[in-house]
Amino acid sequence: MIVAAFATESAMHDAAAELRRVPGCAVETYGATQPQEEGAWSILPLVMLGGGMMGGLGGFGMQAYATTISYPLDIGGRPDFSWPSYIPATFELAVLGAVLAGIFGYFITMRLPCLYDPVDDAVAMRDVMAGGHVVVACTGDMSGVREILARHDPLSIEVVGS
Amino acid sequence: MTRGVGMDVDVTQGNDPLIYPQETPASLTERVCVATLRPDGGMWAPMWWWMCLGVALLLVGMGAVSVAWLFYAGLGIWGIDWPVAWGFDILNYVWWIAIASGGTFISALFFLLRAPWRTSLNRLAESLTLCAALCAAIFPILHLGRPQFFYWLFPYPNTMGLWAQFRSPLVWDFFAILAYVTCSILFWYFGLLPDLATLRDRAQRRWQQVFYGVLALGFRGSARQWRHYGPVYGVLAALMAPLVVSVHSIVGMDFAGGAATGWHSTEFPPFFVFGAALSGFAIVLLVLLPLRPALGLEPYVTDRHVDVLGRLLLTSSLCVAYAYVMDVFSTFYGPDQADRTMFAFRLHGLYAPVYWGTIILNIVFPQLLWWRAIRLNPAVVWPICLGVLVGMWLERFQIIVTSLAHTQLVSAWGQYTPTVWEWSLLCGTIGLFLTAFLLLVRFIPMLAMAEMRAMLGDGP
Repeated sequence: MIVAAFATESAMHDAAAELRRVPGCAVETYGATQPQEEGAWSILPLVMLGGGMMGGLGGFGMQAYATTISYPLDIGGRPDFSWPSYIPATFELAVLGAVLAGIFGYFITMRLPCLYDPVDDAVAMRDVMAGGHVVVACTGDMSGVREILARHDPLSIEVVGS
Repeated sequence: MTRGVGMDVDVTQGNDPLIYPQETPASLTERVCVATLRPDGGMWAPMWWWMCLGVALLLVGMGAVSVAWLFYAGLGIWGIDWPVAWGFDILNYVWWIAIASGGTFISALFFLLRAPWRTSLNRLAESLTLCAALCAAIFPILHLGRPQFFYWLFPYPNTMGLWAQFRSPLVWDFFAILAYVTCSILFWYFGLLPDLATLRDRAQRRWQQVFYGVLALGFRGSARQWRHYGPVYGVLAALMAPLVVSVHSIVGMDFAGGAATGWHSTEFPPFFVFGAALSGFAIVLLVLLPLRPALGLEPYVTDRHVDVLGRLLLTSSLCVAYAYVMDVFSTFYGPDQADRTMFAFRLHGLYAPVYWGTIILNIVFPQLLWWRAIRLNPAVVWPICLGVLVGMWLERFQIIVTSLAHTQLVSAWGQYTPTVWEWSLLCGTIGLFLTAFLLLVRFIPMLAMAEMRAMLGDGP
């Protein structure tokens, strides 16, 4: 793979956009801040909604089962299925379910933890989280990609991995 | 990143900037990484840090002795008895969990409100939340008497046919604290991931590379990682804001659900939320004022941040004042003679200094914050914040102890005097709070670098 570092975010995006038009070339950009992407979309908020619904429905069901079937208690003559009293725990468990779904959904989607990736061998990657801008391209056409990257004034170009 | 905070605001301009104009993303990263990684060798930590840690560990030792003696001798070593069966343990729990709220209000609520000043404070505030929640969680478990059976609080299938009583606010409290502590830790850690990755890449020593590398989990700042990171963080913030309100509402319902004099009021949930905000903002300001020069954070935590926190402290003090007024109104407007008798006892009885101390420290002194010159004077603001924390502790004391000591039946009146073991346990949790926070200050960046770089924009 070819790793190129750029001085500015716009130069990195221009190079990445051009590389994405090369057939068979997989491109990824790296930076210390979230890139401004048009139409960027994530499924994880929906996953969190699902987790929240599971947590809430599970919590409500647990309380309903416990108070009506497993161990009904007569509390001041109130009905066994006294659903308003279930709401606080239902809400708390819904939030807990959504948060767990979001965090662990993110880890699973991003395949984290991933303590080593071949891209780590590039020297330029050490500056990414300190403000660097890096494009990584995986392709069989090394010379063509290198030529495209060179047109965008990179700070460095490295070839890493096989 | 498109977290939105401050993206449309030039934070380095104006007479009162949020960040000094000469600061850049590179200088920010350098300053924070040097403070955390200390690549120059020398002392492993500054002298002030060691001195504070020494004091904190002494207090922890005091608390450890108290807990050890409690486990050996039982709850009889405490001053709780009939009729005051809830004493220091519950009041300290309520006090600590309220202190914990400040971080969540700042990091979640003001994130949703797109307040740009929040970015410099959220890491510090969230760290304080974790440490305070840790201290709060200790007290209910110790209060159980048989702490080894704390897991009985969980509703789990068991051979005894034992189920929690789901109509009780005390059970709601268990779920609230479970959700709040878990979510606070995860929210804090998720926000920390990019900064841990920065520290991993800047670390020079092997142990630091391994330590921060493992904690960063392989976050590399790829566009794919960022694309999902922003939306998840935003939804987390949207969940944390109502969560913190629900937690303190439920803590209020722990009392409102009881038939004791002075407790049985629908006012209690908002009353407790106001109190939580007041003590939460007070602890953030209390810690921020000395930490700002100690860590060299002045370029990023400016007078404007101190001013905003002072305004928030004043606002929450006024909210608490409203709750106190409504407490008096509902007591004397209502039909219950026992409530009025108990309130008169609060005003003139054995614990009257506690009530009036609450009013003076939580309501009267914070009114000085109407003046900007005072808000920006640490020598005045710091004692006000300390006073608010003491005042909130006194408020918890008067709610719990005076109500239980002066119930409906005259024959059941009594009094409560905490023992040395209760005081030493309180000191122990203060030491635990300080120890945990000092360790975080030493090993975790107290500025959210990734978010602040986004505020500063693309630069050298």
